[in-house]
Amino acid sequence: MAMIDTDHATGHDGAHTGADGVRLHVQRLSPPGGRPPTATAVLIHGLLTDSLASWYFTVAPDLAAAGLEVVMYDQRGHGRSERPGSGYRLDTFVTDLERLLDRLHITGPVHLVGNCFGGTVAFGYAMRHPQQVAGVAVIEAKPATEGWLTEISGILRRVEEELVVHEAESLAWVSAHRGAHTARLAKSAARLVRTTTIAEDVPASRVVSEEQVRAVRCPVLAVYGADSELAGQRRWLESVLPGTRTVVLPGQGHSVLAEAPTRVRELLLSWIHEREHESGHKCDHEAEHERERRRRAVTGAPAVGAAREAGAR
Amino acid sequence: MTTVNQTAPSPAVEAPAEAPAEAPAHAPAEAPLSAPAVLAEISGMLRTMLDEYGLDDIEVTMETRFTEDLELESIDLVTLAGSLEARYGRQVNFAEFVAGLELDEIIDLTVGQLVEYVVRCLRAARGR
Repeated sequence: MAMIDTDHATGHDGAHTGADGVRLHVQRLSPPGGRPPTATAVLIHGLLTDSLASWYFTVAPDLAAAGLEVVMYDQRGHGRSERPGSGYRLDTFVTDLERLLDRLHITGPVHLVGNCFGGTVAFGYAMRHPQQVAGVAVIEAKPATEGWLTEISGILRRVEEELVVHEAESLAWVSAHRGAHTARLAKSAARLVRTTTIAEDVPASRVVSEEQVRAVRCPVLAVYGADSELAGQRRWLESVLPGTRTVVLPGQGHSVLAEAPTRVRELLLSWIHEREHESGHKCDHEAEHERERRRRAVTGAPAVGAAREAGAR
Repeated sequence: MTTVNQTAPSPAVEAPAEAPAEAPAHAPAEAPLSAPAVLAEISGMLRTMLDEYGLDDIEVTMETRFTEDLELESIDLVTLAGSLEARYGRQVNFAEFVAGLELDEIIDLTVGQLVEYVVRCLRAARGR
């Protein structure tokens, strides 16, 4: 495990920005056998109950097996990263990503993959550094528009009400109805909201105009669950960023990554491969097949996930 | 002699950013090959982790479930992966182990399943 200090090595004065010196937990997975990666993918998780584990236990190992250098990090306040008392506006999260890539000497162009709020961070980065992004792939996410701010502010208000004001009752309910793991995550989320200004800071984030969103120059893939309220974003995103590929997964809600990891994995892999082909790189289909063969041999129960998903469709 | 490694890296440990901690390619010679010995070592790693949450004196058995019984979050399992690699080397690849599992299977994971996987990897490596 590596902890990255977001304070700039070059002496950048970040004291007033709130993005200064916060330590971020980073995990990297490389292609097996010491093969050089074909590209770098940075995976960015969502808000409150999320952490890099959501990637680690779903798509990350397969992206690495397919030849990518995979970088995952816990956003400030989340997972194993530092939890400063304040400094949670969207721009600060984007600056964290900026400094993280800088510290890791990743000069791009990178593939950014974001889930929910992580997708908003990815869009934010692609607007600031259009040349350094090879592609943005988001799951259940949109750029930081006025509409985004209204929705996320509402969610944070509800979370504050339910998880902080009525914490004990809420956690008991979650534990009884959603199981121990979700309850554990809710507990962490409650702690984050209770001990930091995140619930005030995120709603105070700067929003972007359609014109600013058009600064995103790279190809965009946007995946939505058909039953999620965000699915309505599809047309808007396609109109603002023509060429955006949107995929709406039937029978899925907001938790697409957790509920349909196999499908998300397929979508991400084929999309990144296409981008790499476009940019003249060879992609590593053979390694991918080899990995699948090996997995079948090891587990004896190859595509547990695939079979389950196929059955659910 | 079997030494129980109690110095699994704590999450606060800093490693150089650009050079992820190099794990030994092969397990240290003294790495145990029996399930009870591996269980003892993994229990030690878990106790170190649980200490941070102010939990101690938790008995860890082969049947103990990471989530239900130890109340670990998935991010704690990622941390455990780092401890495993530091102790046993790259042939114990937690990411590869979980790649074949669904999220709910990971949530239901028992310590025993992990112990058996580690023993299998170490024996395979030793058999080469």
